[in-house]
Amino acid sequence: MNTFKKLTAGLALAGSMMGTTALAADGTLDVVFINDGHVAPYHVAWLSGFEDALKAYDEAFDDVKVTGRWLSAEGSLEKMIQQAEVTINEKPDVMFVNAINVDAFEPLVAKAQAEGITWIAVHSPMDSADYSFTLGDVVNGTNQGMAMCALSGGEPYKVGIMLGQAGNPSGEARREGILKGISTCDNIEVVAEQPADWDTVKAQSITENWLTQFPDLDAISGVTDGYMYPAIAVSQNSGRTDIDFYGYDGDIPIIQQMEGGNVKADILLSGTREGWNFVQMAYRIYKGEEIEKVYDFFTPLVLSKENHEIALANGFPADVQVYHVEDALEVAAKGYLEFGPDSVK
Amino acid sequence: MADITAPQRRSFSLDGLTLRYAVLVGLIVIASIGFSMANENFYSMTNIGILLRSISVLFLVSMGMTFVMLTGGIDLSVGSNVAFSGGVGVVTLVSTGSPWLGFAAAILAGMAIGWINGFFIGKLQLSAFMVTLATFAAARGLALVIYDADSINVHDPVFLWLGGTSWGNLPVVIPFVALMFVALSILLYKTTFGRDVYATGSNFNTAFVLGRQPGRKLIWVYVLTGALAGLSAIITVGRVSSGQPWTGLYLEFDAITAVILGGTALAGGRGKLLGTILGVLLYGIIINGLVLTGTNPYLQSVIKGAILLGVVLLDTYTQRGKA
Repeated sequence: MNTFKKLTAGLALAGSMMGTTALAADGTLDVVFINDGHVAPYHVAWLSGFEDALKAYDEAFDDVKVTGRWLSAEGSLEKMIQQAEVTINEKPDVMFVNAINVDAFEPLVAKAQAEGITWIAVHSPMDSADYSFTLGDVVNGTNQGMAMCALSGGEPYKVGIMLGQAGNPSGEARREGILKGISTCDNIEVVAEQPADWDTVKAQSITENWLTQFPDLDAISGVTDGYMYPAIAVSQNSGRTDIDFYGYDGDIPIIQQMEGGNVKADILLSGTREGWNFVQMAYRIYKGEEIEKVYDFFTPLVLSKENHEIALANGFPADVQVYHVEDALEVAAKGYLEFGPDSVK
Repeated sequence: MADITAPQRRSFSLDGLTLRYAVLVGLIVIASIGFSMANENFYSMTNIGILLRSISVLFLVSMGMTFVMLTGGIDLSVGSNVAFSGGVGVVTLVSTGSPWLGFAAAILAGMAIGWINGFFIGKLQLSAFMVTLATFAAARGLALVIYDADSINVHDPVFLWLGGTSWGNLPVVIPFVALMFVALSILLYKTTFGRDVYATGSNFNTAFVLGRQPGRKLIWVYVLTGALAGLSAIITVGRVSSGQPWTGLYLEFDAITAVILGGTALAGGRGKLLGTILGVLLYGIIINGLVLTGTNPYLQSVIKGAILLGVVLLDTYTQRGKA
């Protein structure tokens, strides 16, 4: 039995190595990105960044034909599994999978690897995957929470936090980080925590309820910028122009509301950047570069210059990397600046 | 003078359901040929296995939904029930170590939700839409509570066998679904219960006057649908080697789509399981083919919606002709 297992493992390893060699030899790089949904502005930016990057890499390098496509599971686990199965049968070179639940995909990771496909787990790390593309959610959330501490002015400050879908690892990690950051000061009271299931409509009704329930609410924090759009609109329409907002995602329209606006802090993921980073990562794998098994996407905190200075004066750690609004908008819109073909030439 | 009548021309006509099945078969053939021309992998044994495995749960749930819709009802809770009954089954398996108790628990849990639906709809005469909308939310909530919103890994080979095993490229779940189709066909077409299902959907009051106890039959129809949701849960757990609180999301809409495609009338009393099977098959082929051909995901929903609308329009047109 042991011999059989060793033989199987050896064959799988050999198969996977041959896959890499063949991939380099035949001059093609086919990349598929399966996403859990396509409902937020972040997703739109993400997928367009991915598509733009595929095109740019294909044009920039004569020695390789770069192709790819994306699929959306629309929140359905069964649909995502079917999409992954069909894709594996198509034998692309690299699969980025933003799994709804990573445990459900363990059997498919093995199947993909047996076919010589490089499986990259997106956002939620998987031990079995070839690579995991992670966001550092706990650290990012902590930075958001600490920024809230530093900008709340030391006075009693009431905040409501909108969470992701129950059980979603990324959402849970962001919540953990935000609470950890908030715990570094004692003037902030979390008056409400509620999942909005990544749904902007739910975020709207939650905001409406909170404004009624907590007339002295000082801030709304969210684990995605998707919640900020309705939260800002509802608050402003209700005449509550005094509420602060702490976002997460680096959506350009939200960052644009930071200078002189009520958005105090955000985390610079930016869908466009992430889409470009995917293709850069796939290309580096194709070229045989050594990449960390758990690859952390660079996601700095975004503050206005003025608020950054206030935060530093109030004890915000100087070693936390912060992008000011102008810089953040530049890289958020132009993913190629950091991850384009020039970055790997 | 002798009466002269024009000789009657023998005309060839199909009844509404037969025409519907012919259209579905035609669409299945056209879609299959089209997708295979776009991607030769479509007809590969591996892809056919993937296609059949992916629609096995939809087959089961849609067959239950056919019974429900034949009575003029609807069951929006089936997807949530798959998650709930799977949770009960997996927790029972983990806590007792017995896969057989796990199977029984999953099916009984599914039947329990079905019984609640049936009791309120059949006994208390409440709206099927409202009742199952309530259990749709409640069952999903219970699933999240049972799982504590997280997945539970399952390693028991007996529990995983039905959903996870294949004989070559043939998933074992396919013969199982075929057996279920035969059993449910016998139940629907060869038993008094089946005739009562049609009678309930055609005219509840008449069925009541004729002593067919339509209220009680409704309870059993929803219990049956719940049992099929429990079986679907077992298959789903086997497929992903884990219990998942978010499984079955939107499954009810896929099932309703397949049943309507298959010609079962929304008002009840008309339809057959064969139509549902064809509806599921067409639906599965379209989903599979669109992924395989790399069709823009924005367009996929449009195409699905257009096909459904087209078939329903055709149905309305042909039925109008019969009136």
